Amino acid sequence: MNTDSASGIFLLCAFILYTVSFFVFVIAVTGKKWSSRDPERHVRAWGRGGLIVTVLGFLCHLGYFFTRWAAAGHIPTSNMFEFLTFLAMMIVLAFIIVFLLYKTAVLGMFAMPVGVIILAYALVFPPDIQPLIPALQSYWLKIHVTTAAFGEAFFAVGFAAGLMYLIRVVDYNNASAAAMRERRGVEFVIFVVLLIVAFVLSVFLFRALGYEASFQQETTRIDQNGQAITETSTVDYVLPPIVKPFNSTTTTMKPFLGMTEPLFEAPPWMNGVNAGRKFNTLIWSIIAGLILYGLLRLILRKQIGAAIHPAVTGIDPEDLDEIGYRAIAIGFPIFTLGALIFAMIWAHEAWGRFWGWDPKEVWALITWLFYTAYLHFRLSRGWQGRKSAWMSVIGFVVVMFTLIGVNLIIAGLHSYAGV
Amino acid sequence: MLAAVLLIGGYTIGNSLFAEEEIPRVGSKAPDFTLTGLDGKTYKLSDFRGKPVLVNFWGSWCDPCIREMPAIERQYNKWKDEGLVVLGLNLDESKVTVQSFVKQTNVTFPVLFDQELRMRDRYAVRQYPTSFFVDPDGKIVQIAAHEMTEEFIEQTVRSMLNS
Amino acid sequence: MANTKCECGHQNHAGTVLCESCGKPLFDNDGTSPLEMRYDGVARRSQKANPTAIDRVWNFFSSVKVAIYLILATLVGAMLGTIYPQEDTFLNIDPAQYYKETYGWTGELYYRLGLSDTYGSWWFVTLLVMIGTSLVICSLDRVLPLYRALSKQQIRKHLSFIRRQRVVYSGALPAGTADEWMAAAAEKLKKQGYRVHTDGTALLAEKNRFSRWGPYINHIGLIIFLLAVLMRGLPGWKLDQYIGFLEGEPVPIPETNYYLKNEQFNVTFYSEDEMSESFRQKGQIVPKLYETRAVLYECVSDCANPDKEPQLKELTRQTITVNHPLNYKGLLAYQFDYAQTPKLISVSPKLRNKQTGQAFGPFTLKMKNPAGEYEAGPYKLKLKEYFPDFSLSDKGTPITVSNEPNAPAFVFSITGPDLPPEGIVYLYFPREIDKEKYRQDDINGAVAGGWDISVDSMDDVEIANFTSYLNIRKDKALPYIFTGAAIFLIGVVMGVYWQHRRIWLRIDDGDQLSLGAHTNKNWYGLRKEVAAMLQRTGIDVDPKQLANEVKQA
Repeated sequence: MNTDSASGIFLLCAFILYTVSFFVFVIAVTGKKWSSRDPERHVRAWGRGGLIVTVLGFLCHLGYFFTRWAAAGHIPTSNMFEFLTFLAMMIVLAFIIVFLLYKTAVLGMFAMPVGVIILAYALVFPPDIQPLIPALQSYWLKIHVTTAAFGEAFFAVGFAAGLMYLIRVVDYNNASAAAMRERRGVEFVIFVVLLIVAFVLSVFLFRALGYEASFQQETTRIDQNGQAITETSTVDYVLPPIVKPFNSTTTTMKPFLGMTEPLFEAPPWMNGVNAGRKFNTLIWSIIAGLILYGLLRLILRKQIGAAIHPAVTGIDPEDLDEIGYRAIAIGFPIFTLGALIFAMIWAHEAWGRFWGWDPKEVWALITWLFYTAYLHFRLSRGWQGRKSAWMSVIGFVVVMFTLIGVNLIIAGLHSYAGV
Repeated sequence: MLAAVLLIGGYTIGNSLFAEEEIPRVGSKAPDFTLTGLDGKTYKLSDFRGKPVLVNFWGSWCDPCIREMPAIERQYNKWKDEGLVVLGLNLDESKVTVQSFVKQTNVTFPVLFDQELRMRDRYAVRQYPTSFFVDPDGKIVQIAAHEMTEEFIEQTVRSMLNS
Repeated sequence: MANTKCECGHQNHAGTVLCESCGKPLFDNDGTSPLEMRYDGVARRSQKANPTAIDRVWNFFSSVKVAIYLILATLVGAMLGTIYPQEDTFLNIDPAQYYKETYGWTGELYYRLGLSDTYGSWWFVTLLVMIGTSLVICSLDRVLPLYRALSKQQIRKHLSFIRRQRVVYSGALPAGTADEWMAAAAEKLKKQGYRVHTDGTALLAEKNRFSRWGPYINHIGLIIFLLAVLMRGLPGWKLDQYIGFLEGEPVPIPETNYYLKNEQFNVTFYSEDEMSESFRQKGQIVPKLYETRAVLYECVSDCANPDKEPQLKELTRQTITVNHPLNYKGLLAYQFDYAQTPKLISVSPKLRNKQTGQAFGPFTLKMKNPAGEYEAGPYKLKLKEYFPDFSLSDKGTPITVSNEPNAPAFVFSITGPDLPPEGIVYLYFPREIDKEKYRQDDINGAVAGGWDISVDSMDDVEIANFTSYLNIRKDKALPYIFTGAAIFLIGVVMGVYWQHRRIWLRIDDGDQLSLGAHTNKNWYGLRKEVAAMLQRTGIDVDPKQLANEVKQA
């Protein structure tokens, strides 16, 4: 077998091991009642087991990383698929580090799923090895991307800790308006996570079914000189088209649930080549997310946060607050170094300007400013605890938007990537 | 250090507040230029302050430019004694081409070489012909991005001379 | 006037919260809640009781709350700038029209609010200046008193100071072991990296004080960075142009005295074997490498004269590839893009006497701005007319349809031996295809029979194939920008990865041990360390038990 397919197998192993470790951590936290040992030792023993499985998974992941590097001839951080798999690996590493500092098993219950979901999301993107365009042929590709991802990984762990804190601290018995608002807020965050999971699942589902639809679209774009250029292009969908691209005709479309025509057309302001397809993807994600969320609510018969709440009552919220803060504090200098400083140096070398206010750079700055605000907020006692946890949750949303939103939406109304 | 921040900061803010409009529009100042004429002399726009100036961008391959030339020449002769200055900026053609054109059409106003199309870019000219009417104070009072009729030229020149 | 003299005898500055000497709280004497230990309780300018107008401004900029608002405002402002592409992503549009035409009323609103040039707008720059001011003032406000406080610390602190720290321990030691215990504790603390000072029955252990300066150092870094960014707005500090360089000719760089010549442009593509199996199927062509062999010149005379060639002096030769720009005294040329634009540059034909078979010359004829006169042997050729893009008008007269040498035609008046004194007129098409199309020989009539202008071979024809697009830049502020960034990072690392920890303890009445500890971050770690130290000296406590704070809801 060649290195390309070997790397695929390593990645699969890592994925499986991470999922297993997640369950081990769950047992560590919730299995206290049924265990024969005393609770302290149970948690510690299972926690250690979880760590071992995680480390094994991480080693497999490293195996994937290096075999793919060998197969491609360049470090595998050059497109969405490669970057997301790398980010997932860094999140696991950041989790391992934070776990070794604080030895809290319940963190694994929340941090591992973040890593797994990101890894699953990576698999939505085409995994082909592509040759490196001249702009990426620089040793900065290794330095900037990896450091930035490592910094972001700590923000992800901070997010997990923040979410845990909120589920731990939000009062699920109180009927006051304030408490209800908080519960709904937490539910919304959980919903968004489920939305991503549902999106990934639906893409895999339709791919397995071999679904496809395609359209011919006429677009007009303005080039750098202000000239209007009209082009005709083909847009391929992997999800059934609920909405078709603006100003397009259907070339082929497999029927879905009796639907043989797209339900409606994208609005005219969505005139980028792939805007219609992405809008369709967004609609599908929301629908699938609602279905998944609805199913879970039906099964659990209460708010999902309420269902998880008992699992985290054992932990001291102050510790969770500390873990979240520490994770972000560790990640902040790394993120600054990787996402801003190395980025500026590389931009200067490649494009002659260290900063150009393009959307990706601006959103990296926005992420940085946000976490700066977070660190300054914590100087005031009133802002530790709940508010801090909310900020770490929102901060990670900003990170994800920078990664996904900017690539696919802002630039995407004029770009060619995505699903 | 504080003083440095405030000084430089104040300057930069002031700069962006009062930055000159990049693209010349009606009402803005006409960007100055120094170009060499067919006669070998140097012509600077600001030297003509106090007189109305018609700046005309043209090329020998541009039919509408050629068509409006006689009208411009006639208006030039009519008003030059009252101070009207006409500068024909040629769009970076060779000296030979411009020379032979002037010989054929017998225009008497100065024809200048807009080398490397620098002034065309500075004036943000996008189609040809384009003419800029600049009043004695150096302000642009009219921009005609099309072939002009003689009446149009006359009207605009009159209003510049009267104001 | 509030009393600022402490019971220990020390006279404090007005506004001090904890006595500078013994740490006793000057207000809130009987409380039991943990002390406000910020800046060790010293007086700060921004806490002054009766602020003057200057003080108010000082207080405003010194406030962390204001700083956070400024950061968040900048954040939101930056976000708004990404909604629509900014003005400077385009090379050649009229912003007043573009946004309205492309995005409708939202676009027009965007333009009018100044958002189409968000990062150059006055309010954004004002925000940055305010952040800079805040950085300076809030640091000065705090670092000077803090430095004063930390440099002269008393070892023996007041009991209420120690008992009201956030990490505390009180207990009785076994009788008569006080000195032994102190020695063991000091020993353990030293092993943990602390600097230990003792004063009889009192002890102060301190470590990592340097990390307290971290935030102030990173603020200095940010200030340098911001100053450098603002200075780029000064004239002469930066240059930023995109210019296309056709192979062969030196092209002037506006706003400078430099010319750059693209001597040769090369591009190589990935071959099929260099691609992976799956990628090959896509049939895409991916460039592997493109480079420009560039020569940089400086104009030394005749720079603005249309009749003469500017005199150029060669400065340097470098090969420019993506990620490897040309660098000359701060002027940088980056490989940005390229286009395949074959263009005729010049021909070097000979004048031939068909009857005698003699050929004279060659002379070089440039397509762009050709000279007026040429010599071929004893003959003089004067250029009477030049049509870069020859065609015939409706009336059958020769005209040119553009200024590009797509179909060049030259009309010469030739004088010399064996020619009539007034000379002959000859129309010359360098391109064979034009010569046929417009029947050059027929037009030249009687003359054509006797004379001819043509090149010997394609070696005498100069064609440029590629235009290389380079981004020419200059940025004097750059070294300061990176210095500022580096200092910032060092400050952040100092402040985040290390924590300033202090432990005070005293033994009263022979065996009553009181311990208080403080850190600026990471209480978890401090508690673990204190518990470890106590354990080594025979006192078993759980780190959690050391915490002395009101539990958060």
